[in-house]
Amino acid sequence: MEILQYSLRKLIAGIPLVLGVTLISFLLIVYFGPDKTYDLLGKNPTAEEIAEVRSQLGYDRPFVPRYLEYLHEVITFDFGNSESTDEKVSTILSRTIPVSIALALPGFILGNVLGVMFALLAAYFRGRWIDKFIMGFAAIGMSISFLIAIIGFQILLSSSDGLDLFPVRGWDTSTPLQYLRYVTVPTLATVFIALGYNTRFYRAVIVEEMTRDHVRTAKAFGTPPARLFYRNILKNSMIPIVTRIVFSIPFIVISGSLLLESYFGIPGIGKVTYDAIITGDQPVLKAVVALTAILFVVAQLLTDICYRAVDPRVSLK
Amino acid sequence: MVRAVATCQTWVSLALLLVPLVACSPGENAVAKAVPGQKAFRYSLDSAPTSLDPVRASTLYANQIVVNLYDTLYAYKYLQRPYELKPLLAEAMPDISADGLVYTIRLKQGVHFIDDIAFPDGRGREVIADDFVYSLQRHFDPATRPGGTWLWQGRIEGLDDWKKTGSDYAQPVSGLRALDRYTVQIKLTKPYPQLVDTLAQGFSGIVPHEAVEHYGREFSVNPVGSGPFHLVSYDTTKAVLLPNPAFRQEPVDLVFEGYNSDTQGQYGIDIIEGRSPPFLDRLEIAFIKEGSARWSSFTKDNEIQYAGLPNEQVNRVLASTVPVILKPEYAERYHMRSALEAGFVFSAFNMDFPEFGYNENPVREQRNHALRCAIIKGFDWRSRNDSWYSNLGVIFPGVIPPAVPEYDTTLSAASVSYDPEGARTLLAANNWNAENLPVLVYGTTPGPTSRLFYEQFRAWMKRIGYPPENIQLKTYATFGDIAKAWRNSELPLISKGWGLDYPDAENTLQLFYGPNGSPGSNDGNYNNPEYDDMFRQASVMQPSPERTALYRHMNRLIINDCAAITGLSRRGIALWHKNVIALPDRNFVGGRFLKYVDIVQPES
Repeated sequence: MEILQYSLRKLIAGIPLVLGVTLISFLLIVYFGPDKTYDLLGKNPTAEEIAEVRSQLGYDRPFVPRYLEYLHEVITFDFGNSESTDEKVSTILSRTIPVSIALALPGFILGNVLGVMFALLAAYFRGRWIDKFIMGFAAIGMSISFLIAIIGFQILLSSSDGLDLFPVRGWDTSTPLQYLRYVTVPTLATVFIALGYNTRFYRAVIVEEMTRDHVRTAKAFGTPPARLFYRNILKNSMIPIVTRIVFSIPFIVISGSLLLESYFGIPGIGKVTYDAIITGDQPVLKAVVALTAILFVVAQLLTDICYRAVDPRVSLK
Repeated sequence: MVRAVATCQTWVSLALLLVPLVACSPGENAVAKAVPGQKAFRYSLDSAPTSLDPVRASTLYANQIVVNLYDTLYAYKYLQRPYELKPLLAEAMPDISADGLVYTIRLKQGVHFIDDIAFPDGRGREVIADDFVYSLQRHFDPATRPGGTWLWQGRIEGLDDWKKTGSDYAQPVSGLRALDRYTVQIKLTKPYPQLVDTLAQGFSGIVPHEAVEHYGREFSVNPVGSGPFHLVSYDTTKAVLLPNPAFRQEPVDLVFEGYNSDTQGQYGIDIIEGRSPPFLDRLEIAFIKEGSARWSSFTKDNEIQYAGLPNEQVNRVLASTVPVILKPEYAERYHMRSALEAGFVFSAFNMDFPEFGYNENPVREQRNHALRCAIIKGFDWRSRNDSWYSNLGVIFPGVIPPAVPEYDTTLSAASVSYDPEGARTLLAANNWNAENLPVLVYGTTPGPTSRLFYEQFRAWMKRIGYPPENIQLKTYATFGDIAKAWRNSELPLISKGWGLDYPDAENTLQLFYGPNGSPGSNDGNYNNPEYDDMFRQASVMQPSPERTALYRHMNRLIINDCAAITGLSRRGIALWHKNVIALPDRNFVGGRFLKYVDIVQPES
């Protein structure tokens, strides 16, 4: 009951955040976003035809009514049709978001779970060769661009010049085996890069926790290392870790990964969002912005609930 | 602690549950999966189309698919070069009145649209003359946001007025009528020699009004046509098409299609003689922008079977570029065809800029002419060809590219010869020096290639004495933004590529026709009364030596006026797997070749 009440309060408190994000984003879209008019016009357009298209796109209308209309769209979750493909925005989102989730989730889970594990190892053996090896590996992951990692893994594991073990492109989720065939290489590229950032961050959090008085005291009382790590260190490190993980969720759900989707031919939301940005497809952009803002509010709520779960001293008030 | 662990476990379990849940959800792949033994062709395009509605088939990518979903009245013969038109849904070539103003076209009978829920009983009805009339009218209905209006604007009697009075489909158009169920009559306001070419474009694809009304705006992703294929799935990464089971039986006559066994015999195309297309059980069109991914996919045996040769692979794959010859290990695995694009790349000076173009002061205008000519002399086309097009492109003077019959082989190459010394002399003779040379804003879109194009240009200009700080880069975030700048006449130099819509030099010459100035396609706002008079004169002439002479004269005017840095036609090298029987074309036949693709030894 307490959680439910808290959730409702938190969701209501999130409304100004959604309003703020949508207002600022819409301002940027309207005044600084690409002009779609010339994308839609044919050759040799007349001034009259240009005006017609601008009017159809709503460019000739004042900002305030357009923004109010946007808010109405957010409430009804009906953003109309894409200006590029004419397809309903809701259809596009419902088709592509599950694909992006299925693409990103394994990498997200593995990147975080392995990141915490490596960070614990590195922290435990701080200053020793294991720590240096893990941190060196993490530095490589952080230094290499995601694009290079994608191309590298693709050539190494998928192309005929490499091991030719997986498909270069495509997406088939009809069976778990097919899903594994198509998701493995993108996941490896994601994990390779994510581990760099995650391991360094989590190690820093854990090392900080290891230097605290209660850990020193527990050690002095002869607490076995596994118990010490599990109970005294990991548990108390969970708050920043949970924050980082939960706040990544909106990106997984809505942002997708443009590079992964483009290089591996995966029909997710990332490519749709990118195309919408560069072509000024406002209905799609508006939906993505609103959905991201709402997901952030939910992520914030989840973070607070998780805080409480990992540390009962945290009050949901 | 136990509680925390339990929560953690719950989250992990939930996440692990979600993966297979999401993963095994029925996606498009469940609808459209390849079956072993099928004749499947996996084709690729460099980019995805945005709309499959013929009225918005403005891009090469959309056009490649649209012509496979919809019928047009005419098409270009599959193998004939130079290109030649043939009837497609029309029974024969049109009957044209003596004054060239009335075209009467008979449609084939018994052709049906594919079955679709848009029709009252779900069964595709017969394609009739009214459908053609309706489909062309849609280009004059602002609600459809048409891209092809310019093809018929001011050409067909009453059609522009029909738009002005509200685009009411219940109202007839005097110049566009169905005389009976199968006969179309088009009345022109003035002779339009390219009319039949326009009826071979994806823009003129014939659509049923029932489907447009049923799907509304989403008609763009729910195509209902009478073409050789129908669409089963379509997203940002690929389109899957299956053969139209009711497609009419029309056996291939290779002689009629222009087959030449000497030049085309190596592709094995003769096996389709006498058989009715389409020959494929399944057609997949992948949209792959990334060159490395496309190449990796192509060189596997079980992914895409067609790809253009990327520049970075030229040295690896080709034994020679002139002539284009594959290395033996690649020749064993792939068919290859190299062809010049029907188009060119060029940079037009914006004559509306008094610093470079027309000027009220005749002396300054004379000096501007010299400045433009000097910049042209300082532009190193050979180096550009070598740096960016693997030295495969063809450099030519003027704006009539080699792909059209009116190409002038006798024209002097002086305007495309690199002559920095001549440029410096010309500048000095006209009192141009580092102090008074005007700032030239070079507009481009983001990306390393665009940036390097600019740097290369700036280096050439430096060699002719242009201060590098006076060649300024202006980057536009998107192509839409730079297109807007061109249309609004905001840039002094417009660098672009142009793909011809039909094999007639009129299509490139109109880029310099005065009335087509901004926001029209004459972005350079070139305005030469002599040129415009000749253009108007030629625009109503049927192909003839007299019209060719006019075209060539106009071409020379552009060169003499130093109106553009031009030009280069790029050469594309297409590769496809040996088991694919086809002759791909990216020019005027375009996607229509897909109807004739056959597969030998389908994959098991």
